[in-house]
Amino acid sequence: MSISIHNIQKSFGSFRALSNVNLQIEGGELVALLGPSGCGKTTLLRIIAGLETPDAGQILFEGEDATERDVRDRGVGFVFQHYALFRHMTVFENIAFGLRVRPKSLRPKEAEIQQRVHQLLELVQLDFLANRYPPQLSGGQRQRIALARALAVEPKVLLLDEPFGALDAKVRKELRRWLRRLHDELHVTSVFVTHDQEEALEVADRVVVLNHGKVEQIGSPEDVYDHPATPFVYQFLGDVNLFHGRVQEGHARIGEAEVALPLGTQSHESAIFFARPHEIDILRESPGASALSATILDIRPLGATVRIELDREDGQGLIEVEMVRDHYQRIALKEGEAVYLQPKRLRVFGEHELQES
Amino acid sequence: MAYSFSTLIQKRGVLPGFSLTLGFSVLYLCLIVLIPLSATFLKAAPLGFQGFWDVITQPRVLASYRLTFGASLAAATINAFFGLLVAWVLVRYDFFGKKLIDALVDLPFALPTAVAGIALATLYSSKGWVGHLLAHYGIKIAYTPLGVVVALTFIGLPFVVRTIQPILEDFETELEEAAASLGANRWQTFSRVIFPALAPALLTGFALAFARAVGEYGSVIFIAGNIPMVSEITPLLIITKLEQYDYAGATALAVSMLVVSFTLLLTINALQRWAHLRKF
Amino acid sequence: MASTPISASARIQHRVRTEPFWVRMTLLIIAFAFLLGFLLLPLTVVFVQAFSKGWSVYIEALLEPNALLAARLTLLTALIAVPLNLVFGVAAAWSIAKFEFKGKSLLITLIDLPFSVSPVVSGLIYVLMFGLQGWLGPWLQAHDIKLIFAVPGIVLATLFVTFPFVARELIPLMQSQGTEEEEAALVLGASGWQIFWHVTLPNIRWGLLYGVILCNARAMGEFGAVSVVSGHIRGQTNTLPLHVEILYNEYNSAAAFAVASLLASLALVTLALKSFFEWHLKEDATLTETTS
Repeated sequence: MSISIHNIQKSFGSFRALSNVNLQIEGGELVALLGPSGCGKTTLLRIIAGLETPDAGQILFEGEDATERDVRDRGVGFVFQHYALFRHMTVFENIAFGLRVRPKSLRPKEAEIQQRVHQLLELVQLDFLANRYPPQLSGGQRQRIALARALAVEPKVLLLDEPFGALDAKVRKELRRWLRRLHDELHVTSVFVTHDQEEALEVADRVVVLNHGKVEQIGSPEDVYDHPATPFVYQFLGDVNLFHGRVQEGHARIGEAEVALPLGTQSHESAIFFARPHEIDILRESPGASALSATILDIRPLGATVRIELDREDGQGLIEVEMVRDHYQRIALKEGEAVYLQPKRLRVFGEHELQES
Repeated sequence: MAYSFSTLIQKRGVLPGFSLTLGFSVLYLCLIVLIPLSATFLKAAPLGFQGFWDVITQPRVLASYRLTFGASLAAATINAFFGLLVAWVLVRYDFFGKKLIDALVDLPFALPTAVAGIALATLYSSKGWVGHLLAHYGIKIAYTPLGVVVALTFIGLPFVVRTIQPILEDFETELEEAAASLGANRWQTFSRVIFPALAPALLTGFALAFARAVGEYGSVIFIAGNIPMVSEITPLLIITKLEQYDYAGATALAVSMLVVSFTLLLTINALQRWAHLRKF
Repeated sequence: MASTPISASARIQHRVRTEPFWVRMTLLIIAFAFLLGFLLLPLTVVFVQAFSKGWSVYIEALLEPNALLAARLTLLTALIAVPLNLVFGVAAAWSIAKFEFKGKSLLITLIDLPFSVSPVVSGLIYVLMFGLQGWLGPWLQAHDIKLIFAVPGIVLATLFVTFPFVARELIPLMQSQGTEEEEAALVLGASGWQIFWHVTLPNIRWGLLYGVILCNARAMGEFGAVSVVSGHIRGQTNTLPLHVEILYNEYNSAAAFAVASLLASLALVTLALKSFFEWHLKEDATLTETTS
């Protein structure tokens, strides 16, 4: 089922949780709502579910206005951040709940309920837990039961609020791959909320980056990572180096250095440049005016890559560079060595663009 | 108008039953509590301030105030001291029958006041188990103001214990260990580290015990002797006036007690907020 | 567990956090003496006095027609007051704990109000409402309705003094449990009634029973408020506590204490149940902590 969100606004007292949010979610998509805490992502999810009413705006399900539709009639499945499993019911009863509370005429027969619940338990690979109570389960197990419970009512949309937030790092990684596979199997339109960029990039088909109740960017994981629309997105998705300078005649002037920019870049008296740690080359020999000189402070091998911290000669702060291990071993850098930094790619934001966000 | 009403009850969340439950609660609250209470204040209005003042400054009324508030203060003070001690013993020490004693502390909440009244009167009369021991030393408790203090101590007993207990249970052991590691002896640790942390709760418990004692009736009248000007509490005086069909007098006294009760309620609320803030 | 030797660090810790033996003993003895004089002895006196003239007098006092009628009225009063205040408590707690609205803290304070009012005044306010001299007195008399010095007055006064018990127990409990489980049930299609019955009620049952048992104890034991509105007509408007008073004032001490022992037993049962419910409440609270 497709979901269209038009001009949604929501305030809590004087706090603006969402201002003018527009979003189109296609049927069968897996979309991540990504942003820092307090950015309004959970509120947006709850508004889609019908657990919160927007102050203004419209929600369409499959082209039909669902803004005023009751939660119970929306056909959504919701997985809560802390799972909200009914703690006095067994795992089996938790999953069966949505079927049992249906009006008599729509309620499946007991045998059907049994069969359906066991199917779901098999789907989440936890059939052996049917008679346990939620407090007896591990975090990862609770999470999967919560998902099975939400799927029991055959929702047309699956909504997940920080589905992996309460889990430890290892279980989290396993579960998000599992969720991705599950989605590929079921193809139910899914939206999940997360503050973890890695999670969003790894699991989602499309990522919606939110900040201060506004949509910053919507795009595929590659899109938002490689072509961030705003400085916020740039900084929120991964590590970044920041340079102050100006843009003149298609060149970035940062201190003494002068780096060529893509054709058609506008001139700015004052601008900010971003480069990710892996987008900067370290050179022994000066390539001319296009490099900044710096001293190596610290070298840290991190598995397949090496992170190098450098101090700019002009005293304008620290720079982080990441390179693959092979390359590092080939050029054999040492701490304390004076080198030249050449950005392979720079993203430019004029000062006025910064004030907007 | 419709707009202001909808903002007044603007609510978060979409769970059902809000209007029904709030509507019923407010209606029931008005019928059982608010309307009868307001009616009492209205009933006192025809007296006028002078009439009201005359009633509540009669010598017999003043004597009853002195006794009621004096004995309540004494009882709350006794409870503050012994309540702290009992809470300490229950939280910190292990002894046989601790669970039973702990449960029994709430007896004054559960025991009907009339039963407590006749039991205390019997126990502390000059022929009673405790009374005759004290009579040797010339101390008379039942049928004197001292009896009032005893009864009020009984009914206020759980308040201090129950407000102190959870604070003492949650008290971080590290704080005490830190004090000890810095060279404080046990008494210094108690008086400078533990006691200040307990103080807000102790004050709250004291105020709760005092508030309860001021209005108490059932457990007092059997042991007090009820001698006008000597051992007659204010609630009893209200009943006396009522039996003499002096409705205006009874109403005036009731209003004066209500004002005191509400002041105490607000004080206790403020104290509890303070204690709550101090916890973090 | 007891057989494992205490490690050196545990022993040191223990010493740091406790007092010398003689101090501990002194504190224990003082605390015991206090509790003996104010709790244990009064409780013992009730039962000793009740049986002071033997079993037959005891049984006779309880089976006397006026005692039975008083017991019936006491039960009837509790049977009306407890369910009404239970419904109120659940409704109030639902609206306060599950929703945000203006004036909420004022509402909570007003619910506590009856606890701060003297029992005598609690009775008096109904006399001033419905009594002959009260606001509605003349109208009630014209229609031949008697509320004060009759059973309805006793029920009203009891409703007032037991008003906050269930609500004040449930409000903090339901607030601490939040709304996630209810919302989950809602998304799964449950109706309001199904949510309350299958999700909320099982979560609050121990707190609810706790409130009910305390409410019941007060309803059956209330003396001051009921005394004002009762009129003390034997066999008609006498509750058990009022019956105790009458017997005691007639110097029929053995009978008074016999009836009182009945009420004291009720108090002991209340305390036992209360501890039991408290234990379950604590259990539930730790479960809540581990599940979220």
